[in-house]
Amino acid sequence: MAYSKIKLPASASILILFGFILLSLQLMSSSTQESSELSEMHSWLLVINTLGSITLLILVAVNAYSLVRELKKKEAGSRLTTRMVSLFVLLALAPAAIVFYFSVQFLHQGIDSWFNVEIDRAMDDALELSQSALAQRMNWHIKQTRHIAAQLENKSDTLIALEIGALWADSGAMEIAAFSSQGRILASSSTNPSDILPHLPDEQMWLQLRQNKEYFAFDPGDNDEMMVRVILPIDRDQKRFLQVLYPIPVRVTDLADSIEFAFIRYQEMTFLRNSLKTSFSLILLLVLLLSLLAAIWVAFISIRNIVAPVKELVKGTQAVADGDYKQQLPVMSQDDLGFLVESFNQMTKRIARSRDETRAAGLEVENQRAYLETILANLTAGVISFDADFHIRTANQAAYRILHIPVSHFVSQSLSNLASKHAELADVLEAIQQLLEKADDIWEQRIVFLGPNGRQELLCRGTPLFLQDGSRMGAVVVFDDVTDLIQAQKNAAWGEVARRLAHEIKNPLTPIQLSAERLQHKLSKELPETSQDFLQRGTRTIVQQVEAMKRMVDDFSEYARPSKKQVEKINLIDLIQEILALYVPSGILFSTSFSSRSVIIEADPVSIRQVLHNLIKNAQEATAGNCRIEIKINKAVRNNAEYAELGIYDNGSGLHADQIETIFEPYVTSKAKGTGLGLAIVKKIIEEHGGVIWVDTSYNGGAGFVIQLPVFEFGNSK
Amino acid sequence: MPSLAKPFSLGLILCLSLWPFFSAADPYAAIIRQADLIQAGADLQIQARIDYRLSPTAKEALHKGVPLTWIVDLNIREVGRIWDSTLYQRERPYKIQFHALLNQYEVVTPEDDGEMFLTLNAALNFMSGLHDDTQLAVDLIQPGQRYYLAIKCRFDREALPVPLRPFAYLDTQWFLSSDWTLWPIQK
Repeated sequence: MAYSKIKLPASASILILFGFILLSLQLMSSSTQESSELSEMHSWLLVINTLGSITLLILVAVNAYSLVRELKKKEAGSRLTTRMVSLFVLLALAPAAIVFYFSVQFLHQGIDSWFNVEIDRAMDDALELSQSALAQRMNWHIKQTRHIAAQLENKSDTLIALEIGALWADSGAMEIAAFSSQGRILASSSTNPSDILPHLPDEQMWLQLRQNKEYFAFDPGDNDEMMVRVILPIDRDQKRFLQVLYPIPVRVTDLADSIEFAFIRYQEMTFLRNSLKTSFSLILLLVLLLSLLAAIWVAFISIRNIVAPVKELVKGTQAVADGDYKQQLPVMSQDDLGFLVESFNQMTKRIARSRDETRAAGLEVENQRAYLETILANLTAGVISFDADFHIRTANQAAYRILHIPVSHFVSQSLSNLASKHAELADVLEAIQQLLEKADDIWEQRIVFLGPNGRQELLCRGTPLFLQDGSRMGAVVVFDDVTDLIQAQKNAAWGEVARRLAHEIKNPLTPIQLSAERLQHKLSKELPETSQDFLQRGTRTIVQQVEAMKRMVDDFSEYARPSKKQVEKINLIDLIQEILALYVPSGILFSTSFSSRSVIIEADPVSIRQVLHNLIKNAQEATAGNCRIEIKINKAVRNNAEYAELGIYDNGSGLHADQIETIFEPYVTSKAKGTGLGLAIVKKIIEEHGGVIWVDTSYNGGAGFVIQLPVFEFGNSK
Repeated sequence: MPSLAKPFSLGLILCLSLWPFFSAADPYAAIIRQADLIQAGADLQIQARIDYRLSPTAKEALHKGVPLTWIVDLNIREVGRIWDSTLYQRERPYKIQFHALLNQYEVVTPEDDGEMFLTLNAALNFMSGLHDDTQLAVDLIQPGQRYYLAIKCRFDREALPVPLRPFAYLDTQWFLSSDWTLWPIQK
């Protein structure tokens, strides 16, 4: 219904337009006939039709220009419109041009056929014959008039007046009159009694008469009759003239008129021959132009209407190609194109639905991937995946945290490249690389190396990855820093040893000591002096050794017992200054370097004091006099957390390389009297405060220890 | 001096539209030689002398039986401050026609009287003398006012045979009309 509502007015407009064109052409065609009343409007009709043609030409040109612009812009449907319009113009123009050409040919031939030499000659002969007949009649009447004039010559005016009636009657003339050279009428006689005055010559006749002394001519008479007018002088002195009007028979007049009319008409047609051809060709051309241009213009409109759904379809297809699957086109008709548009709409709906489903599935996959990535990122274990060529593909955050190098920045590079840029990790990275290349199955390896924070122990598990066809697609390595775990296991073991020592050794020590003292007390008085001295030395040695064993067991108990810290905010710098003040009498030379005015940490001041005392004592014992200790505090950031980095460096003999790995383990000492628990306790305290301690292997001037403690607040920088 | 052209007819519209193509002076245009308002007894009459010039094509057409018609436009106008007002207006048609049988030229006057002439010159000479028979009242011309007589002799192309008309608007051989000419009237 919508289609008919839209199309009906357009069709009606087109019909009205064609009606006007046909009417105008018909009027113009009719106006070419002289007899038609429309002939007076011929020029106007010609102008109107020419203007109509120009208007249509402009409309066609505008449409063509618009189409060319659309073509240049590569607008949808423009090429189809061009093709259809071109086809229509070609199909319409070719036959129209042929018909026009042959019509013009036939027209020219038809007009030419009106004229030929025989007709020309016949017309000339007929005219000449008529003229001869009339000339003969004229000559006869001239002769007749001369005869009458001769009869009146030398006669008085009165006699002429008396005789002129008889002469008129004898001559058979219509009128006979005598007048003076001044135009005064002397006498006259006429067949018409009502004519009081004769038909006197006019000025032109007088002029000719004065020049030629005579006048004769055919004159149009009343009632479309023709007559012969002859004027001759009566006397030799030409003072009086005789005018005789002779009638020409009606039949002769009619015949002469007919011949003249035909001759004139033929002459006129001969003259208009080329004008007729051109004029008719022009009208034919106008008919052709009007019809053709109107048809082309209507073709433009119709083709645009036809192409409109296709245009929409192309736009819709382009939109779909650009990813807009919600495109729905209006169904403007119920024909094949309408069906096509409906199918397109259904297709886009289905594509949109599929796209949504695919997008949802992709989103799900992406969520899963992100979830896995999140899990991997938050794993405490480092995970590095490799491709088939053992180049790094992914690495999680834990890998960075454990190895202290941004592994994810080295994607598509091998571990060897990573090792070349981080020499401190070269051993462990090369080891993992070799394991990756050699292993065909799951492998597990514990790798110990000296990292930037001291000794580290990694537990690495590698899994080669294979495709369905069995080809290697890469590998994944999961590693964890088990340094703390191992240390905790060791601590637990030492704790157990301490507990057992306390239980198994310390308990019997008191009775041993008491027994030795009782022996001393009971037997000293009974034994001789020599034996008393021996007993005293023996029991004293027993008591001393028992005391030593007690201290040793207490130390172990101290080490193994969970500490009871009183945590408070302390300024580490103030604490260090207090401790250093205690050592002033000892002669140790301290040099300090603090990056901030205050470093506030949350710690048990007693424990921290013990740490510092232990380290200072160790340094003091390691140097044989002239002890110099350098203490530095800097700000350090690790895993996005701020730490106070405390460095203590002495000028002692330093540590051997084999000592560095076990220096913090209990009962490891290079001193003759030491229990080997000092640094173990230091490490324990530091770790209980969430910090780390390691030997600064880069320091060569003696032994160097670095402690990192979580900091609460850094004071103003210096 | 005669001057001033005023377009009015379809022919003139077409001529103006095509003026750039035919801007040269028309060699066959009629010329108003003289025009005046003369005293005829107690009244006034317009008298003028017009030279009709026929192009070769026009002469050929005439001898082939095509009648030629000129219309003489007569106007008496009073000069106004802004607009000139027309006091008198009249058209005087003249037609010349060749009669092959009699070998004479017939001039049909505005009064529809036919005058036969043996030569073309005689016929044109007859046409050239224009006497408007309208008796104009003397008080039409008031002292102190300015008047002028406007005359134009236009060739009536629409009186030509239909096939000839379109070409008559385009071919200078048919540009036989004069321009408007203005003749001051002396009281």
